[in-house]
Amino acid sequence: MSSETALIAAAKRGSIRAYTELVSLYREGLLRFLVSKSPSYADAEDALQDTLINAYRFISSYDSKWRFSTWLYRIAINNLSRIRATEPASKVELGDLSDEEGGPLEQCIAASERQNLWLSAKRILSDEVYTAMWLRYVEDMSVNDIAAILERSVSWTKVNLLRARRQLDADLNGMPAKKVSQAYG
Amino acid sequence: MDKLAKQLREDADQIKVLITPELENRIEASLRGAVQDNAASVKGRQSALFWWASSLTGVAATLAIIAVVNLSKPELETAITEPPQQTFSVPKFDWKPQPAVLTQTLEQELVDIQSDLKKAEQTVRDDIDEIM
Repeated sequence: MSSETALIAAAKRGSIRAYTELVSLYREGLLRFLVSKSPSYADAEDALQDTLINAYRFISSYDSKWRFSTWLYRIAINNLSRIRATEPASKVELGDLSDEEGGPLEQCIAASERQNLWLSAKRILSDEVYTAMWLRYVEDMSVNDIAAILERSVSWTKVNLLRARRQLDADLNGMPAKKVSQAYG
Repeated sequence: MDKLAKQLREDADQIKVLITPELENRIEASLRGAVQDNAASVKGRQSALFWWASSLTGVAATLAIIAVVNLSKPELETAITEPPQQTFSVPKFDWKPQPAVLTQTLEQELVDIQSDLKKAEQTVRDDIDEIM
């Protein structure tokens, strides 16, 4: 952790080498997350690149009260929202077509005896709740951090995490689970 | 960690991604570009700052020269330029009446009237004497 602090301090002073070393700890996990949220693998790579560049540009504003990964994911999610907001309609249609053929998430999942839970989660949960589940169970983030990243209340985050778990449990046990966007809000 | 949480973690690990050398190079190139952009913007800010500083120095020098030139003028000029003292007093009027100066024509008219009166008086006396 102290080495991370040193790397952050060096990156704040403008060292690219320190910054590259710092983000190398997170970029694979970040790409995995972005792949599960993007219409194509290339889009996920572009989103990763934008996230890392933006993080470097604004690293001087990083507040150490947050975990570095929390801050990085917040930038990534804001980036995704911005890309989706400015995405032309034609590109959205192309993304839909590629989903029919099997999106990047399906393509990146190794063959397994059972269906990957994240595929079920993508099918059942809303985009925001999916993100909350990923941050909680893959990135081990606290409910407070997740609420801050999603700009939601802690109560909203807790309730939706609980509901999402129930839905995934039901899906895992072969019980019919209908798609519920979110608890409220 | 419960069963679902464990399974979610394991399934996330099953999502295979790879940071390719091309992607790595792209990111590094973008980072260097961002550094150059930052340096260029800093340089731009510095040159703008220099421009402002030199402009302000020029203005200050001009003001100083104007002040020095004004202070070095002779004292007499300063005295001359003093505003005159304004005194307020109530005007006095001389109320001595002057006799009217009659024109020559009017004097003559008066003499003629007096003559007419004497003549009329004489005529009236003659008429009285005649009656008596």
